[in-house]
Amino acid sequence: MDADGIRAEGLQKVFGEGEIQVHAVRGIDLAVVPGEVVLIMGPSGSGKTTLLSMLGAMLRPTSGRIQVDGVDLASLAEKRLPAFRAKRFGFVFQDFNLLSALSVRENVELALNLAGVTGRAARERAEGLLRDLGLGERLGFPPHKLSGGEKQRVAIARALANDPAVILADEPTANLDSKIGHEIARLLRRIATEEGRSVVIVSHDARLKDVADRVLWLEDGEFRSISDMATDPVCGMAVERQRTPHVVHDGATWYSCSPECRQEFARDPMRFIAIMSTA
Amino acid sequence: MSGRVPVGRRNLFSERRRGLLGIAGTAAALLLVLAIDAIFDGAMRQITRYIDTQPVQVFVAQSGVRNLHMASSSVPLERISDVANVDGVRAVDPILFAQEGLDASVGGRRLAYLFGYVPGRPGGPVEMETGVQPDAGEIVLDAATADSLGVGVADTVDALGRPWRISGLAENLSNIANGIAFVRLKDFQRARGVSGTTSYLLVTTDREAGRVAAAIERETGLAATTREGFSASEHELVSDMSGEVLRIVSGAAWLVGFTVVALTLYAATRSRLRDIGVMTALGAGRTALWRIVLTQAGWTVGLAGASAGALTFALGSALAASSSSLSFVLEPRAVARTTAISAAVAAAASIAPLIKVSRLDPASVFRR
Repeated sequence: MDADGIRAEGLQKVFGEGEIQVHAVRGIDLAVVPGEVVLIMGPSGSGKTTLLSMLGAMLRPTSGRIQVDGVDLASLAEKRLPAFRAKRFGFVFQDFNLLSALSVRENVELALNLAGVTGRAARERAEGLLRDLGLGERLGFPPHKLSGGEKQRVAIARALANDPAVILADEPTANLDSKIGHEIARLLRRIATEEGRSVVIVSHDARLKDVADRVLWLEDGEFRSISDMATDPVCGMAVERQRTPHVVHDGATWYSCSPECRQEFARDPMRFIAIMSTA
Repeated sequence: MSGRVPVGRRNLFSERRRGLLGIAGTAAALLLVLAIDAIFDGAMRQITRYIDTQPVQVFVAQSGVRNLHMASSSVPLERISDVANVDGVRAVDPILFAQEGLDASVGGRRLAYLFGYVPGRPGGPVEMETGVQPDAGEIVLDAATADSLGVGVADTVDALGRPWRISGLAENLSNIANGIAFVRLKDFQRARGVSGTTSYLLVTTDREAGRVAAAIERETGLAATTREGFSASEHELVSDMSGEVLRIVSGAAWLVGFTVVALTLYAATRSRLRDIGVMTALGAGRTALWRIVLTQAGWTVGLAGASAGALTFALGSALAASSSSLSFVLEPRAVARTTAISAAVAAAASIAPLIKVSRLDPASVFRR
């Protein structure tokens, strides 16, 4: 890959007007260079989806600007955005979002079709990508016959189909078990490192920190300092120290995302502390 | 073949039962439309069959009369020589005509066009299925008319207030509205008590029929119409009288077809809205989305049309094999018209799904 990555400056998004006005994103600056993995975390309603939608050229910001590979998204007419998305972005979703009426190969081929690649070229490219990701035996399968990990690998193959500069992943490990989640995380890391793509991951999953070059905490539409964050020892979620329930055990303070996690931790603290220390 | 993944077709048939039900419903509506058209066209063709098969070129009637159905024409017999003297006229044959009830003691009653003619001259049955032309006191019935009355050669039917012995059966002349029967001209005159007049004059000519008809009109003041013009006039009159009902039934069938196609497409699109949202996020422009909806519409109506065409053809064959007097003619123009309207229905039924997919927010793909 030879690209400039993605850069956002002074990004703001306001929904509604007057009393019902909501500032979903407030003055975000973000630059993700090729080869870098940035993990954006934050509670529900913090503006992660809005930010991701704007970065992915699906939503126009109220103010600020976004550059992808040196192209200012504001300079593109509305009708040119779909083609731009098809060629410059790869999307990975929490629910995989594979088209159930299509086979595995067709799901990847479709992304190529949308970028103008059709026929044998699209078919061969799709098959090559799927084989590289270990899905060579699943080409003709319908998505519902795949495991969660396989579905996400198909989604990643689809995201890579048009050789995009930027991969945007929305909760890519949320519906996967721990082992498969790690595999997917490592795959995203590899895509950034070996293929020089900019990878932006939005997630609650603190395990993804392992593969991220940077972790950003988004709350109330703004990035906050990650030093204020702690990891829930029970569920692994990143939580803000000042706003979450906590338990003191053996002189150490442990933060929980919810009263339920705190109670579970309190029942057997050593078990969770042991897990945290080996993670 | 564009080499693209056929998303529209896959969407339509991924839920096979719904796809097939939509196609079957549309096919049923199109079958109804085609069958009604075929029956109507068959009836119209049959209604003028007597006129179309007569070996004459011009029909002459009382001034202002240019058809048979529900018409009354009276031409004095002395005008025969006037017509015969017109340049280009080779022969003139008088016929008497009335719409009469035929009564058979075994099979009930049937309305018929009754013609009086001179056997061996124009005006009678062109082809006999069985038996011979009528002699004194005899009648020839169209075979389907005889069948519907339950009579055959040598049986008796009542008409014009007297009994007639059936001497033969004519081939394929009756229509959905009435049967056809022939008696000798003299018998007709005697039964009706008419001696100095006839209903129509059938003119044979070697010249161009239109010019001869114009000359007859000019020189005699009678209404002279070419056979083709007379047939067209008959067709138009009957079509105007019976077409309204058929148009209403046909319109209802189209409405059913449109509704089925619209619901099928809307349901197919709506059930795949999430997928289409994913496609917009991945970079599908309006053209790609519209292609999906229109492909679904094309497949639904295309398959339904092909099925309806095959079923209509089968229905026509079955009717031909039966002894039904129903004539079933699948005209190419009816097929072309149905195809064109089907395409319009498919396009119209696609409007709501097209609007739906056009308004999809690509960012909706992130919402759960």
